[in-house]
Amino acid sequence: MEKHFVDHEEQSVVIVMTSGPSTPQRCATPFYLGALLSSMDADVKIFFTMEGVRLMEPGVAENMAAMEGGKRIIEFIRDAKTAGVKFYVCRPAMPGYKMEEGNLIPEVTATASAGDLADLILTSDRLLFF
Amino acid sequence: MEFHGCEFRPELYYDDEYQVWARREDDGTLTVGMTDISQSIAGKILHVRVRRPGTRRPPGKPVATIESGKWAGPVPNFFDCVIAEANEEVLEDPNLLNIEPYEAWIARVEPVGGPEAALSVMLTGEQAWEGYKARCERDNITCERGIR
Repeated sequence: MEKHFVDHEEQSVVIVMTSGPSTPQRCATPFYLGALLSSMDADVKIFFTMEGVRLMEPGVAENMAAMEGGKRIIEFIRDAKTAGVKFYVCRPAMPGYKMEEGNLIPEVTATASAGDLADLILTSDRLLFF
Repeated sequence: MEFHGCEFRPELYYDDEYQVWARREDDGTLTVGMTDISQSIAGKILHVRVRRPGTRRPPGKPVATIESGKWAGPVPNFFDCVIAEANEEVLEDPNLLNIEPYEAWIARVEPVGGPEAALSVMLTGEQAWEGYKARCERDNITCERGIR
C-alpha cells in the first residue's frame, strides 16, 4: 500500500523543452510528466527554447501527435496547463523561427529571457531537459 | 440519469466542471470520487495515488493523482479538509474508477469547517444536472465505461 500514498513536500521543478516538430515523439511526455508533478504539489514551469518554442506557435501543436493516430500534443499541453503548469517561451529563440511575441497560443504564461531561465535553473529544486 | 452516455446522480455534490463528486456521510465526513465525465476523459486508469491519511488539504490542493495511458493530473479538491481514508480497493485496482465511477470512491475526507460549509461550494440536484449536460455539450464529451 505504501507506494499508493503521496508524501512529497512542495518543490519547484523546471522542465527545459528543446524538442519540437522535428521530433514529435519527444513532445508528449514532458507535458504528461509536468501535469503529474503539478498534481503532486510541485510548482512546475516549462521553459521552451531552441526548437521547443515552435510548440507555442498557433497551429503547430494542434497538428502533431507523439505517435501515429495518438492524442494531439495541444491536448497534452492543455492538460498540463489545467493541472497548474506554467509555460515560458524563450524570447531570444523566437526570431530564429520567425515567431513574434504577439502570435503565441493562449496557454503561454509569459515570454522570458535567457537570464530568466538562468534564475529558474539556479533557484529550482529539480531541473529536467527534454 | 444520463446525458451523452454520462451517468449523473442528482443526490451527489459536484464541482462546477464536474470533475469530482462528493457525498455526505453520517459521521460528518465526505466521500470523494471521480465523475463519469472525468473517468471517460482519462481513459483506462492505471495508477491512483492518494495523499496520506492525516494530511491537510486546503482548497486547490489535490486529494489524489491519477495516471492513465494518455492523461495525468489531479483529483482536485474544493474545500479545506484532512484526508481520513483512502479506498484501498481502488488503489489496488484503479480500473474500478472506469467501471463504476460512483461506487469506486477515492478518499474520505474530514472537512475542516464542517460538511455544510464544504458542500456550500458544490452544486447538486437540478442545478448540477443542467451544468453537467452543458459541460458534455460544450466539450463534446461522450462517456464510455471500462470493462474488465
